[in-house]
Amino acid sequence: MSELLLKTEELGKAFKMGGRTIRALSEVNLQIRKGDFISIMGPSGSGKTTLLNMLGCLDKPTKGKVVLDGKDITKVSEKNLYKIRRHKVGFVFQTFNLMPYLNAIENVELPMEGTKKSRDEKKQRARELLKLVGLSEREDHRPHRLSAGEQQRVAIARALANNPSIVLADEPTGNLDVKTKYEVIRLLGKLNTDQGTTIIMVTHDSQIAAHAGRMLFLSDGRLLAKEKQGTHLAKDALKCPNCGRETQPEDAFCPRCGKKL
Amino acid sequence: MGTLTRAIRNVSRRKARTLLVVIALGFSMAIMISIPPGIVANQESTQDLTENYNNMLSSMQEEINKTATLIECSTSSGQGMPSGAPSGDPQGIPPFGSQQAAVFVNETVVDEIRSIAGVKDIVGFLEESSNETTSETISSPRGDFTVSRPIYTITGVSLNSYFIDNYSILPTEITSGRNLQEADSGVVLASSNLTSYLGVGVDGQVEIYGESFTVVGIFEPTSQGRFETRIVCMSITDAQRVTGNAGNVSRLDVYAESASDVDGIADVIEATYTDLYVTTYKDRLENLERMQEMYTETLNNAQSTIAQTQSTATQVIIVAVAATSLIVLFVMLYTVRERTKEIGTLKAIGFSNWNVMSQFMLEGIIISLIAGVVGIAIGSVAAPTLTSLLLPRISMFGTQRSFPGSVNPGTTLSQAVTTALDPQWMLLAFGIAVSLGALGSLYPAWRASRTSPMEALKYE
Repeated sequence: MSELLLKTEELGKAFKMGGRTIRALSEVNLQIRKGDFISIMGPSGSGKTTLLNMLGCLDKPTKGKVVLDGKDITKVSEKNLYKIRRHKVGFVFQTFNLMPYLNAIENVELPMEGTKKSRDEKKQRARELLKLVGLSEREDHRPHRLSAGEQQRVAIARALANNPSIVLADEPTGNLDVKTKYEVIRLLGKLNTDQGTTIIMVTHDSQIAAHAGRMLFLSDGRLLAKEKQGTHLAKDALKCPNCGRETQPEDAFCPRCGKKL
Repeated sequence: MGTLTRAIRNVSRRKARTLLVVIALGFSMAIMISIPPGIVANQESTQDLTENYNNMLSSMQEEINKTATLIECSTSSGQGMPSGAPSGDPQGIPPFGSQQAAVFVNETVVDEIRSIAGVKDIVGFLEESSNETTSETISSPRGDFTVSRPIYTITGVSLNSYFIDNYSILPTEITSGRNLQEADSGVVLASSNLTSYLGVGVDGQVEIYGESFTVVGIFEPTSQGRFETRIVCMSITDAQRVTGNAGNVSRLDVYAESASDVDGIADVIEATYTDLYVTTYKDRLENLERMQEMYTETLNNAQSTIAQTQSTATQVIIVAVAATSLIVLFVMLYTVRERTKEIGTLKAIGFSNWNVMSQFMLEGIIISLIAGVVGIAIGSVAAPTLTSLLLPRISMFGTQRSFPGSVNPGTTLSQAVTTALDPQWMLLAFGIAVSLGALGSLYPAWRASRTSPMEALKYE
């Protein structure tokens, strides 16, 4: 069993809205090991992105802790969180979020700004990464001259720029057509198997989620006990613990008895 | 790919925004480089003018003091003004060559006055204008008007060496040639404006009342009134002959034994010769005081105009600077808002608050640098127009007067500015423009750096 990379303990996030306290996440206990490829599924508003933001130091929990590489990152001051985001975490967004005024290689170099790498080293690293995602020929192209799939591949290369401990992908195939989304998910799978990159991916898409090694389910801010091996998801339909009816991973309630899953 | 390169790319990417800020900052800078030098130039002009007035008044005071025993008796009440010109100019010591001398008295009066108790000496003059006149256009802030004036005015002087040595009866500012001497005849001393007008020099011939005279010297006329009178000085005998006034004089300078005798002598002359206008030290002093009052008032008005101009200029600059800062501030705030998602992404991929802030600050500074260059260009070309549009036109003295050695009092601010633009002001304004850009970007950049990456990433 590989080394524990990230864990959450009793992680919770609550915020006030119109005088009411909304619990976006409750008691999330999660353990991610180095080299894991995990997908997190759940309906809209289930807290998937909130969880991803906590793991990626974009947001702070109101309860519990997140330990990354043995360090409780919830205790790191707001001012210093950028160092963790820069060196330990790589983000992949649904809308790619590339800088439109930079070409592919410059976009990939961007996270390396402020690191000790020389200009040539940054360029060299960016080239390697673009080669890894199959875009060596497109390094001088700005985002508007790249297809959506190519843009997401540049974004993946950018996420890997500082060789992070973990890549967090928020709906990485959400803006892609059927053909392209499989290209991107296969790329993520390849990075996981070939490079040993630890990936946590949030998605609505059960077929995409199934490409991950493990699938976790979030519902109403809670991590469900049901956890599946991604590659076997098609065979193992989920059953309602109340009535035994088969359900889909994205179902929040049982279609037969209405029990919350 | 450094912060600077990214900032430059962003500046060139948002052309409309950059153009707006560049124009605003550029105009602000143009105002800054145009107005203050204009104010300084006008202040200097006023200072020069004040000095010139003071010098002139003190030299007049000296002259008056020197002539404490002089009683001037003239056959005409007004001197120094050509016929047709508006009156109201200050009266002081009459210059050589008064231009109005239509009334004459017989030289026998000279002997009669000499016999009055307390009279030391008496010098007679004959002053007569030429028959021919010229039409001249005079420009003034109140408009142009045409006047007719004699080509020259003859001043006939008693060329007695005792008088020449002891009294100020001949011009002193000889610029070339020589002054008149005792027993000179058939020769003249001409004012430089007359020799220029006639196109002659020393030893040249001039025709006076149909008779030819040799110019032996040229002098610089002192001037009072709107014109510098064109004067020709000659012996009184020659003057009486050519003008057909044998035995007549038009002005008498009576010198008393002492200053205490002046009033008594003046009373006797006034009582005996009602055709003569008598002026004494006291009258001249009163005239000088009136002049002083008038000049003081004029200078005060000029200074108040300058102060008002300065205040207006300060207001204009403050408004321009404030408006520019606000424009930069709002444009940069808009930019930050527009690029919220980009800021979120940058922070998510590891940019520190400082990285984000420096990028936005740098963009503001780059725009300001461009605006600085544009501002210098606009300022250099449009400074006079800008100042005449933005500042009240300085017309300090109502009518143009010309005093020896003074700057032209009718100088307007816009005229002053064209020569006043200097690199120091440009450098200062450039620095201010860049500071404004940096200042206007500071808060938006700070706000950008403080943006929560999570909130920013949600922004659409």
